[in-house]
Amino acid sequence: MGYNASKGGFDAIRAAEDLVLRHRAEAMSPWLEVEQIIERLRYAVDRVMSEGGLWDETTAAMALRQAEGDVIEAAHLVRTYRSTMPRLALSHPADADDIDVLRRIVPAFREPPGPQLLGRTLDYTGRLLDTTPDDEARRAASEAAAERHEREPDAPTDGPTDRVPGRLLDVLRNMDTVVDRRRDDDPEPADISRVPARPGAPRSARLSVMARAETGALVQLWYRNILGPDQHLHEITLGEVRHGRLPVVVDHPYSGEPITIGHVRITEVEAIEDLDGADEDRTKFDVGYGICLGHNERKAIAMANLDIALLRAPAGSELEQSVLMTTDGLDSSGFLEHLKLPHYVTFRSMMERKTAMAGTEGSAR
Amino acid sequence: MSSIATLVQADPRTSRVLDETSKREIRRATLTALAIPGYQVPFGSREMPVARGWGSGGLQITLAVVGPTNVVKVYDQGEDGGVNAANLRRLVRDSEGVATTTDAREADVIQTRHRVPEDALGEGQILVLQVPVPEPLRGVERDMNELRRMHAESDYARMWVSLYEDVVRNGVITRTTGYPCTVDDRYVIATTPIPRWDVPKLHQAPHIALFGAGREKRIYAIPPFTDVVPLTFDDIPFEVEEVAAPCRCGLVSPDGAADAYLVELPAQDGTSTWVCSDADWCARRRVDAGLLEAESLQEVEL
Amino acid sequence: MNDWALRVQELGRIYGPGGAECVAGTGPEFGRSVSPTTGAVVGCWDIGFHVSPGEALGVIGESGSGKSTVMRCIAGDQQTSTGRITLRSVDDGATDLGSLTDSERRALRIDQLAVVYQDPSEGLDLHVSAGGNIADRLTAAGWRHFGNIRERAAELLARTEVPLDRMDDPVATFSGGMRQRVQLAKALANRPPVLLLDEPTTGLDASVAAGVLDLIRDLLEETGVAAVVVSHDFNVIETLTRRCLVMHHGRVVEEGLTDQLLEDPQDAYSQRLVGAARG
Repeated sequence: MGYNASKGGFDAIRAAEDLVLRHRAEAMSPWLEVEQIIERLRYAVDRVMSEGGLWDETTAAMALRQAEGDVIEAAHLVRTYRSTMPRLALSHPADADDIDVLRRIVPAFREPPGPQLLGRTLDYTGRLLDTTPDDEARRAASEAAAERHEREPDAPTDGPTDRVPGRLLDVLRNMDTVVDRRRDDDPEPADISRVPARPGAPRSARLSVMARAETGALVQLWYRNILGPDQHLHEITLGEVRHGRLPVVVDHPYSGEPITIGHVRITEVEAIEDLDGADEDRTKFDVGYGICLGHNERKAIAMANLDIALLRAPAGSELEQSVLMTTDGLDSSGFLEHLKLPHYVTFRSMMERKTAMAGTEGSAR
Repeated sequence: MSSIATLVQADPRTSRVLDETSKREIRRATLTALAIPGYQVPFGSREMPVARGWGSGGLQITLAVVGPTNVVKVYDQGEDGGVNAANLRRLVRDSEGVATTTDAREADVIQTRHRVPEDALGEGQILVLQVPVPEPLRGVERDMNELRRMHAESDYARMWVSLYEDVVRNGVITRTTGYPCTVDDRYVIATTPIPRWDVPKLHQAPHIALFGAGREKRIYAIPPFTDVVPLTFDDIPFEVEEVAAPCRCGLVSPDGAADAYLVELPAQDGTSTWVCSDADWCARRRVDAGLLEAESLQEVEL
Repeated sequence: MNDWALRVQELGRIYGPGGAECVAGTGPEFGRSVSPTTGAVVGCWDIGFHVSPGEALGVIGESGSGKSTVMRCIAGDQQTSTGRITLRSVDDGATDLGSLTDSERRALRIDQLAVVYQDPSEGLDLHVSAGGNIADRLTAAGWRHFGNIRERAAELLARTEVPLDRMDDPVATFSGGMRQRVQLAKALANRPPVLLLDEPTTGLDASVAAGVLDLIRDLLEETGVAAVVVSHDFNVIETLTRRCLVMHHGRVVEEGLTDQLLEDPQDAYSQRLVGAARG
């Protein structure tokens, strides 16, 4: 239907909403179940949880479905939903060493202490599109499943391994080759949902911003720094790349005893930077840290790289401003898309100035 | 045996968009802003059902300051019937249970995008403006640390240089909307993208003006009866938009002077009609002049 | 000494750890600026002088002598480690500039103390026009009348021999010599009582440098400003200053009237310097 920016606003909105609902209700294809989205589009679900800042696969899947696959829209739904929820408790600080690994690789060493575990990954699968027609693929899959079940009825799935490997950073510390950033004090981490992070904010604020940032924004910023014009990175080798589950522990509201109320899946990366700056200790390495909800290695690696770049960049650098102010997906796409709102009042003012300028012929008195 | 479900107090008003604690935080930030006119107060901006850049800041302020007996007007570009205004208005209404109106004279709180009402507002009324970019020095200085210093030390030299260069290059000051103003002789603010036409209304106004930037997470404010002076040189008077033609209804003020901000409706053949941007104000004037039936004022669904 | 505009007393600047203890073992008699005990660099130590209105004091030295350090400490671009810097125009000399906050020191740069840097891009905004650069200082001092601002800027640019038809061009489009002239005009915009010049003509072609030097000499006379001229170039010191100090390894090794010092230097290092310059 025709759309006039000014009149009949409600009618237009209702018509738009009807269109969305109608397509959803009258679509020819079968209803999309939340379990399907969680199981078969898991990377998208993980991204929505990460950028929404909320761990709950069902919520993320529902958001993805309602947003018809638009990841940023879905993340927005998740964040607004989270906004409405009461905060019941603060968990104990999670120790990343309590991780139950599903996957762990250490590119820096051939045989690091503690095993490497390739885990479930698409990294080494050939990028060849499988165009098998659906019914054939479905049949082949159930045949393979039946056959495997016969062979090894009690075989473990790709679930947690109860293996907690040591951390490469500890190895490097023992070799005395890494800058020691451990602190004696224990400052409160910044809560960026209550106090906006601005240049000069502590490292915890920067890490929080990046943990919720849009994946593409972090990747692009990383790329600019490693090869593009910004160049705050020198020579990165990855120390740890982990995907695993962390327990969430709170004090029971009645008994006061610590209890584990669940697990979140996280991706965690440590990036080793070869220090080369004039003011740095060039006999050592320094390490950047990246972590995010869900399985998103691209994002955690970019985050770890940017963390160390920020630690090395001079105070007041543009990089800090870029990370804190331009990487949030909701802020950036919201602001971008606001250009679609009517702007005729402001445009009229601009046209008026053009006329005024033409009158004076552009030279000073 | 307790469960998480019993720990959650179910809120009867499930369409509530902003919880009471958040509202209190926003009100505190607003009070700070009123205490330091023109200063950009950081606040924990919550995620809203509208996208960032689409009025999430103005919405948070409105939700925080209204009470159940208040009357609210929400409009955009001067139109109450626009899509964005309609959406925001229904969010406020459904969340807080307030009554709504299109008449600026009747509203306790007016949330607006890009306009100040043509009606002179009075004491006790609150104008909430949606702000896309709260920083007046944007375009003059890029470094955020330097921006902070400039505001803190009232060092606006670089802004003056940019105005000087503007006149030198263009013969006039070419700033269009969101004209920078000094508030209470101290902080320089961006007057959101309201046209220059509306800027003088803020000076020594009897009402409160609150500015909400949700994406940038800043609130600033002008308390009643405060000086708001547009930045210009002593010998270059502040210019509002020149009126190209009267509203197509033909009504002008008794002395013929421009009395409303008009926007252009271009036709395919290059000619244009002009209409008042403030639709409700214009409609009421036409009713008073007998050009319009009073019933048609209800055409906007609230 | 009643008539003074700038006074520097026991000024010292050390880079690195150690404080006053690391000064021992450094200086011209030891032939080094680096402390043998702590490794800190003694940029300058025990520097003292005063400058009267209308007078120009020269500070001569080779690179590494500490002369630029002294200038930057007075300008406020660097922190001092010890000593006092006072201006007659600020609390009648009662306040040590080193005790002021950064923002208070910045305020002094509006109309109490001006600096002309060796590199014009340090003192100018290259993206802004010549007139605009001057407008920057005038508006900082509170000027709000466009016509007056423009008139004063034109007057200053005319005096520094910048063609008026270039007044509205961005400084980035100017040659080095022209940029220095704009820097001079900007520095003098609010008639500061004290002016610091750091290698004002170094880097300019000889013919251009001569013109700028003559201009500076005339301006110093006309304005009655108290000036400190830092340079390794004897021609500059001779043309502009009546008194001067020679610095070596962060210390003053000799001071006196410029003509006499250059004619008949007493200190061994000064003698070597003058000898080398005179050929």
